[in-house]
Amino acid sequence: MFATLAAAMLVALAGASQRQTDTTFAVPAGASLSVNNFGGGITVHGWSENRVKVHAEQGRRGRVEVSVVGNTVVIKASSREGAPSVIDMDITVPQSMGLTLGGTYADINVDGVQGPISAETVNGEINVRGGKGIITLHSIQGSVTLADASGRIEVNSVNEDVQLTNVTGEIKLETTNGEVRLTGIQSSSVDASTINGDVLYEGTVTDGGSYSFGSHNGDITVSVPERANVTITAATANGDIDASFPLPMTSAPGKHRKTFKIGSGSARMELESFQGDIELRRPQEIRERIDEHKRDHDNDKDHDFDNDHDNDSDTSFSSHFDAGTWNYAARYAKAYAPKYAKAYAPLYARTYARAYARTYKRAYRDTDTTSH
Amino acid sequence: MNDMWMNRLSEYLDGELDKSERTALEAHLATCGECYATLGELRQVVARAQALQDTPPATDLWAGIRGRMTESTPIAPRRDRHDRLVRRRFSLTAGQLLAASVALVLMSGGTVWLALHERPSNAPAPVAVRQPRIATVASWTGSTDAAIADLQATLDQNEKRLDSTTVRIVRQNLAIIDRAIADARIALQSDPGNAYLNLHLANTMRRKVELLRRVNSMAAARS
Repeated sequence: MFATLAAAMLVALAGASQRQTDTTFAVPAGASLSVNNFGGGITVHGWSENRVKVHAEQGRRGRVEVSVVGNTVVIKASSREGAPSVIDMDITVPQSMGLTLGGTYADINVDGVQGPISAETVNGEINVRGGKGIITLHSIQGSVTLADASGRIEVNSVNEDVQLTNVTGEIKLETTNGEVRLTGIQSSSVDASTINGDVLYEGTVTDGGSYSFGSHNGDITVSVPERANVTITAATANGDIDASFPLPMTSAPGKHRKTFKIGSGSARMELESFQGDIELRRPQEIRERIDEHKRDHDNDKDHDFDNDHDNDSDTSFSSHFDAGTWNYAARYAKAYAPKYAKAYAPLYARTYARAYARTYKRAYRDTDTTSH
Repeated sequence: MNDMWMNRLSEYLDGELDKSERTALEAHLATCGECYATLGELRQVVARAQALQDTPPATDLWAGIRGRMTESTPIAPRRDRHDRLVRRRFSLTAGQLLAASVALVLMSGGTVWLALHERPSNAPAPVAVRQPRIATVASWTGSTDAAIADLQATLDQNEKRLDSTTVRIVRQNLAIIDRAIADARIALQSDPGNAYLNLHLANTMRRKVELLRRVNSMAAARS
């Protein structure tokens, strides 16, 4: 029945010259979903019904094909002629459905699914809320965020930030040119690293657990709960090691490496940054720092980057534009300019032109002052 | 590398120490950061090895093995425990751990590497790390450098299969990794025996290998 329905649907979708796809069909328990979309977006929502609902905006040349292979619903984007089309897919699935989502120039968003998730794109963001079991999220050029998930987690990007929030389970996380941010983590095994960016960890330190955080150019900040039993090995070539609580040093094997034992020392934590500092903080301190950062971000709702809430009469915003923010902004601009310029330019040109003009005016003025 | 327990770490990981030895080693680990750190590195190598998928050998090796067995005179007696310990000792130099770590990454990427190089199916697989005995930076990075150069050459050949934006981003990130590798090498020049710096260099080189592998894999998928 399932296969028959899907086969019929495949014919209907492939044969029509429609610009939009809307269909809903029942799926058996345990069915999984596989989506491949070259460009555009893949958005998946979970719901409590045993049905899959597919909505796609595919344009004139685009085509969306739905088929069934074994117990898997397969949704593919293709083009009737020429280059692949940009297609936005919005799919609603049973909450427990396992997902395999792939794209090239596609943003991937998942919300409210409680099954295993595999998502991979080359040039696009991945944002997932939910997920249980094996969760792997990979992007080359695009940030990756995961929240409210549990299981065995593997997340990586190359040229953007990766962020995990309220995640439970075994975690492996990596990027090359971006920050790594883990908050609200419950895990006995975390391995997170970047080459060019800061690493922040706020989460549990479980007895017997294994934690490894590394960066080449960035700072590493980790929370150590008060009653933790952990042996910490901290190594930095050019940075400092700092803790906001007493650290009983066990040994200093080598010039760049120190070992500290807290409590029974049963968990193992390795912190390594070549150029950056290593900071050990209490969870509350990190949470306050995060809240402060969030407040700053929320206060900037007028989108002029100056945190002033006013009508752009204040020129004191540059104090909030530190080096990290510049790098962040530069990376985003580089990544998204080609993609969104056409659509966003007419909408936002006026709003942003004013802010950017003031930003650069200030930056160049400072540069001139420094150079003279 | 300056205490007796350093040489027993692999036995500890393999569960081969008796109870009293294990207790003594654990007590030692609590006070010796160097052994503790080395144990962590060894665990990483073991974990990475366990994560590798088994692949059948490219050629049937049994004929050669059988030939050697029949040629050899008496079968060598089973090594006693002392011999095994000596052997273990040899296998636990820090340099070897580092080389093993990178080699495991290289080996696990061999399929893609081979596919992109279009070697004949009966050609011998490339030897990722040619010199397991390593003590200095120069000796253990040489083979990894060679493997990276091969992967880089493959990328040069196949990057036309990828779009220009992706290629540009990958190049930028390879350059970031190269700068990090250069930083580590410079630091090692003044402190060549430093375990942390060696490990950092090895890890950074591993990152480059993995990125090259990943991109080459993408290129292969689009061929």
